[in-house]
Amino acid sequence: MSTKHSKAGEAFLNDREHASWHNESLWFVREKRDKVSKDIPEWEELRELSSQIKMHTVSHLDTYLEQFTKNAEANGVIVHWATDAREHNEIVYGILSKNKVKKLVKSKSMLTEECHLNPYLIDKGIDVIESDLGERILQLMNLAPSHIVLPAIHIKRQQVGELFEEKLGTEKGNSDPTYLTRAARKHLRNEFLTADAGMTGANFAIAATGDIVVCTNEGNADMGTSLPNLHIVSMGLEKVIPDLQSLAVFTRLLARSATGQPVTTYTSHFRKPRKGGELHVVIVDNGRSKVLGNKDHVKTLNCIRCGACMNTCPVYRRTGGYSYTYFIPGPIGINLGMLKSPTDYFDNVSACSLCFSCNNVCPSKIDLGQQIYKWRQDLDNLHIANPTKKLISNGLKFLFTKPALYNTSLKMAPIVNVMPRFMLYNGLNEWGKGRELPVFAKESFTELWKKGKVK
Amino acid sequence: MLIINKYKIKNMTSKEIILNSIKSNISTQYDMPDFNLNAIKYPDQIARFSEILKSVGGIAYLLKTGENVNEAIRTLYPEAKVIASNCPDISCATLNPDGSDDAHQLTGIDLAVVQGELGVAENACVWIPQNVVHKAIYFIAEEMVILLEKNKLVSNMHEAYKQITFSESGFGIFISGPSKTADIEQALVIGAHGVKGLTVILR
Repeated sequence: MSTKHSKAGEAFLNDREHASWHNESLWFVREKRDKVSKDIPEWEELRELSSQIKMHTVSHLDTYLEQFTKNAEANGVIVHWATDAREHNEIVYGILSKNKVKKLVKSKSMLTEECHLNPYLIDKGIDVIESDLGERILQLMNLAPSHIVLPAIHIKRQQVGELFEEKLGTEKGNSDPTYLTRAARKHLRNEFLTADAGMTGANFAIAATGDIVVCTNEGNADMGTSLPNLHIVSMGLEKVIPDLQSLAVFTRLLARSATGQPVTTYTSHFRKPRKGGELHVVIVDNGRSKVLGNKDHVKTLNCIRCGACMNTCPVYRRTGGYSYTYFIPGPIGINLGMLKSPTDYFDNVSACSLCFSCNNVCPSKIDLGQQIYKWRQDLDNLHIANPTKKLISNGLKFLFTKPALYNTSLKMAPIVNVMPRFMLYNGLNEWGKGRELPVFAKESFTELWKKGKVK
Repeated sequence: MLIINKYKIKNMTSKEIILNSIKSNISTQYDMPDFNLNAIKYPDQIARFSEILKSVGGIAYLLKTGENVNEAIRTLYPEAKVIASNCPDISCATLNPDGSDDAHQLTGIDLAVVQGELGVAENACVWIPQNVVHKAIYFIAEEMVILLEKNKLVSNMHEAYKQITFSESGFGIFISGPSKTADIEQALVIGAHGVKGLTVILR
């Protein structure tokens, strides 16, 4: 009866200490976001502006993508178009093999996760090196990111210490974050210096100028594109925005929402290929254009991938990214998974308490909570509704539409207060799993009202 | 182009397929909003810039009247042996990075001194339109000094994006503080892959 998410969440919660630490780590990020956003009096106006710019851009996406392409090509950038993940991977491999690339350094890109690019390239004999510290840790552990901005948020420092001891030869038992970060810096510096190509995602693509804008803190995207001559950018088609004035709005929102920083350390604008080098941009659809036609869910295309909805989500914080079956977890991931394939990813729609906190922190005002509610209403049409919950709903409907029966049942309800536990908390009581039943009042509100006891 | 051709449907390129799909799926169109935002302005931009730069791990150094910039750099970085700069008045430089044929040769630099164009008070960003031969210098050095004219500060990113310029190289960057990461247990570590320390000298 339980969804895959609730089962995985239960397993996550079994390690109470780790679960509590995970919850607190993310709440700490949420609090930093609150503090830094209150530093900007026009914060709410910015969110509204961001939402409106996105709604405008997305509903004129063909125009802006063509404008971006025209300007980027005029700057000497080579633009490619990929309808799906397979085509994306083939284009990337085509560029790499034409340039005889043996080693590729990558900076963080959720799109390449979506396309399963790394295993594809590794299979073709390319040495693929993730260079974001969190991503590198996970790559060495052979794990996927559990958060879109803080990929290794679920990993403890001791685990990193042991990993680096084995892979990078660091001191035994040393799990000091500064020491480990320095070790990774040294190790990755060598990779940057020996790479044949660098690959990045794109936070924004500017239609009016043809710029690709990448926002990072570590400087890995810049190291990876300053040394090798070849730079490949992989971008989802919804990343395009009209102009630099629009970008000003998003640069003010992105890092504040994501990590509670006033801005990312680096906001890099790649307008032209480096002298003597090549800059390729692969624009990827992979189902995005179809979302434009979905009125209930079109706003998911507003997403700027800040991860604020995950940091605030009480369910995400207490169940972890791996409890979700889609590669993007949390409120935005629930919706994106359903848009990808409801029959594959419906397990995640239960991972929501409908508290709507995600709506309130989203920098582009996506109605994440309402959208999850809508998916739940659709489950029956997709024939994937939970049969127990359906039975309970139908039972309650029967009861609520028959006043006499309802009143009789209500009079009987206090019996529950004195029933032994084994009769109440068993396999039949779905609601009673992990929570206590309320104490039923001796008299109902209707009875109190009739007796004039309600003042 | 060979790869794309394999995917041609009814002789359409992937670009045409995607653009057609977008056009056929768009239903309601929305207007671009007006940008009549009352964005924050700081009466003392230098104070705000310095405060935020400090909070992101950098240092703002206000050059005093008559103070020599080279002496200030030597005082701030007494340990630096290899100092790279292409700025004409930085006589303490031991190396002109523009003289290197290849960015890969720029390893082992203790300090890079570069020129910034515009500073942003709200978030301590400094805009640098690439003004060196190899942009690697902005990231590969151990530490960096950005020189900035103190009258080249604006309050917020809206003002900044109205004023920034690009150089012929086609690369430009906003830098706010030294590189950093918190990927291990959210513990902040200054100095990830880029510079480990950053001073903005306002003059």
